[in-house]
Amino acid sequence: MDMDLDVPMHDAIEEQLSPTIDEDKNGGERDDAGGNQLTTINTTNPNGDDEDDDVDLNVGGGSGIADHKSAKPLELNSSNINQLDQWIEYLSKCQILSEDDVAKLCKMAVDVLQFEENVKPINVPVTICGDVHGQFHDLIELFKIGGPCPDTNYLFMGDYVDRGYYSVETVSYLVAMKVRYPHRITILRGNHESRQITQVYGFYDECLRKYGSAAVWKMFTDLFDYFPITALVDNKIFCLHGGLSPMIETVDQVRELNRIQEVPHEGPMCDLLWSDPDDRGGWGISPRGAGFTFGQDISEQFNHTNDLSLIARAHQLVMEGYAWSHQQNVVTIFSAPNYCYRCGNQAAIMEVDENHSRQFLQYDPSVRPGEPAVSRKTPDYFL
Amino acid sequence: MEKVVQQTDYDALSCRLAAISKGYLPSVAFQVQRCNYHGYKEMHMEYLHSLKSVSRRIHSKIFRAMQNSFPVMNYGTYLRTVSIDIQINDFLKSHSKFQNVQIINLGCGSDLRMIPIIKNFTNVTYIDIDYKDSIEMKRKILDQNRALKKALESDDDGETNRYKLISCDLNDEAQTVRTLSESTSSDSPTIVISECVLCYMDDHASKQLISVVLDIYKTGIWISYDPIGGSKFSDRFGIIMQSNLRESRHLEMPTLMIYNSKETYSSRFANCNVEIKDMWDIFENDIPKEEISRLKSLQFLDEVEELKIMQTHYVLLKASW
Repeated sequence: MDMDLDVPMHDAIEEQLSPTIDEDKNGGERDDAGGNQLTTINTTNPNGDDEDDDVDLNVGGGSGIADHKSAKPLELNSSNINQLDQWIEYLSKCQILSEDDVAKLCKMAVDVLQFEENVKPINVPVTICGDVHGQFHDLIELFKIGGPCPDTNYLFMGDYVDRGYYSVETVSYLVAMKVRYPHRITILRGNHESRQITQVYGFYDECLRKYGSAAVWKMFTDLFDYFPITALVDNKIFCLHGGLSPMIETVDQVRELNRIQEVPHEGPMCDLLWSDPDDRGGWGISPRGAGFTFGQDISEQFNHTNDLSLIARAHQLVMEGYAWSHQQNVVTIFSAPNYCYRCGNQAAIMEVDENHSRQFLQYDPSVRPGEPAVSRKTPDYFL
Repeated sequence: MEKVVQQTDYDALSCRLAAISKGYLPSVAFQVQRCNYHGYKEMHMEYLHSLKSVSRRIHSKIFRAMQNSFPVMNYGTYLRTVSIDIQINDFLKSHSKFQNVQIINLGCGSDLRMIPIIKNFTNVTYIDIDYKDSIEMKRKILDQNRALKKALESDDDGETNRYKLISCDLNDEAQTVRTLSESTSSDSPTIVISECVLCYMDDHASKQLISVVLDIYKTGIWISYDPIGGSKFSDRFGIIMQSNLRESRHLEMPTLMIYNSKETYSSRFANCNVEIKDMWDIFENDIPKEEISRLKSLQFLDEVEELKIMQTHYVLLKASW
């Protein structure tokens, strides 16, 4: 046995591998294995800073951003407007805020978002957008295509972080815009706005890399708990990240949920963020391991019961950036072009005007100015 | 270019280690029960451990890469690994224990398949071929690791004569002919494996390699796994892949858009009986339900469509002659 300084590395691998022995035995039982897997990720993270070693990262509230919540919504004044405008200008150049500024921003955001309803009412005109996934330069492109906020009203349906290389910049920018123009932009929660998922898909690692600790990740994931989960455009278009839930028949039932929590592994809130429409009728098991698939019969029934014209959702990569399903009862919108820098898809946003007519705007990846090709990480391939 | 291509082995190894660490591999159904692989995880850990003493730099690179692997990659590594294992195993099982069969793994890199196969099939001679540097590294690791060394000394006399590590530049036709003629038998039924090898060669060199190999061996199968660029007009996967790999790693895939579909890829083996599937076909049709639900229980797969896009751009070919 060698005794050199690198020995802990070898041990770390052994440690990481040992749980898989049990997982093999449990193969086929899907109950909570996924959850166990996700909660063990942190213990093996090579970047994990010492202060986190004994902390369960899946428990929220540790960041302190919600310790002194206001009893009434944040009031904008010349001083905080000035501050926000500075942040937005800075962020729009793809530069990160300091940790202290992120803390300030998240505290302000809590005092905006905590007063929004689970089903956020929205008026037309509005431009509805899907997954962004840390592709910051493509988000800037989106605002060029759709028109600048606040001149254009925006509704984003979640998944701001993970996968792309600029999750921190993307979510900071959108949250700053939300606080600055609370009635002009709505940011719903996606399945990636979660402590567990961000530990697997990149946001956690990116925060460690860019800030040297998990503090900023904790602030944002604590903030995610306050994001509304659905929106209703003029009582006609029901907007959410994933899809329907067998436990939800009416929009009013969504209003009853307690959303201020980590995205659960199952139940109605989980389903709203994880489910997908499917060609098969009825409810089905989701290939993703969370949520359900739902058929056209389910969508039609839901729209009929709630007097809706459309369910708009995101969550799935669609090559043209948008895709109709269930005979136009459901539309999928995906706003991350060339997803993960390798999928070759177009992105789209959907404009809904005063007369409720809809128009899709498609776009390709931005040229990414100011992002030198050499410093870019290669997207993963099988080599 | 040679070095850049060699480095792709670190990607393959770190992907395999990541899939092992998350429990995708070994597959009990396919690798343990069907192929009778045992100690799969352990042999990879041993290899990684000894790699550290051979090259700290490569070890830490691989260690870092295996920590950051996404579920979509783990699924793909699983599919690639088990489907090749099954093809090899099925061919070996179709031959008598008394008939010598040889396996030639072209561009073997750090692949460790030879360990369980040498052990399970006493009629197999296994030849690993790669660039000189890759072979030297692999030899050092296998030499200094007692467990791996012992596993390869399967014969009673303690000799490793059923396993050969041979360096050869497969782009060099004369060298390839010489090497294969010297160290292999042209009469034995032969399994040729090329796992992400042809994709890095230029068209001429890959054609030569295929024709040389098919000429030398009387009978056998060629198992080849490679990316295909995609043939539909709107399909940009291959073009983006080429430019991503060129920009960030100076890695070229000269024939990705030539052999861009299952049909065009198969045409490289025109005189053989060819079966080809893309990896999504395999995922959809050849992996039993229980195995899929086992995979699903390991990690949340956040995007199925992405998996489909990637896996429809990789193929597994079996050419028999």
